[in-house]
Amino acid sequence: MSRRRRRYFFFFAAILAGLALGIIYGWVINPVVFRNTGMDTLRLDYKTDYVLMVAELYQSEGDLASALTRIAYLEASSPLAFVTTCIDYAEQHDYTREDIDLMWHLASDIDNALRTGN
Amino acid sequence: MNDQTQELRITPQPEEKKHHWYLLTGIIIGIAVGLIVTWLLFPVVYQDTSPASLSPAYKEIYRSTIAQVYAATGNLERAASRLALLEDEDIIYALGAQAQRALAEGQEKEARALALLASEIQAVIPVETSE
Repeated sequence: MSRRRRRYFFFFAAILAGLALGIIYGWVINPVVFRNTGMDTLRLDYKTDYVLMVAELYQSEGDLASALTRIAYLEASSPLAFVTTCIDYAEQHDYTREDIDLMWHLASDIDNALRTGN
Repeated sequence: MNDQTQELRITPQPEEKKHHWYLLTGIIIGIAVGLIVTWLLFPVVYQDTSPASLSPAYKEIYRSTIAQVYAATGNLERAASRLALLEDEDIIYALGAQAQRALAEGQEKEARALALLASEIQAVIPVETSE
């Protein structure tokens, strides 16, 4: 191998070593720590539990506007589709019938409100 | 003349010592490429996080919702397991402090729910200092 070729070889090897150092620093030495996140970033099981809480409160208070405000922390654009997604998750993960019914009740009232425009 | 010429040919070239700078240059380029990839091309996207990672303001909303649900349903076991998700160092202190803030802001219903949950959990959890 000529001197010129050897230098190119080690130059690109050094680039790879630099990449490896960056990745090791970012993933092992100083990995990302999730802090100060918003509620829209929560995992679906936590979101589903939150929607269940909203449904429990809605059952008690009967205040749909408050329920929609609480759901907006998780998903503002389409609350009905979002609640339905959470119900699907709950049905697939052995939530009790009572909890699922509470969420269905909330979804049904959101649907009615959207249809009537109230 | 001939002798002098031979001496010049034998003397080693000083540029041999400069050779290793390209290695440092390569490493710096590698790190720069790594940062461009991780910060610009594929930056970290926050998703699938847990309630413990929420910002303090969102933790307060989450905690308040838990307390209000407890006030409505009376299910302490469920409220305690939900509060545990927030990973507060001192659950009772967090509830009490938030209740005081809510009271100061005129949110009486929320303050009452938070205080109620704090007192119920305090009654159930053994106080470590008394042992």
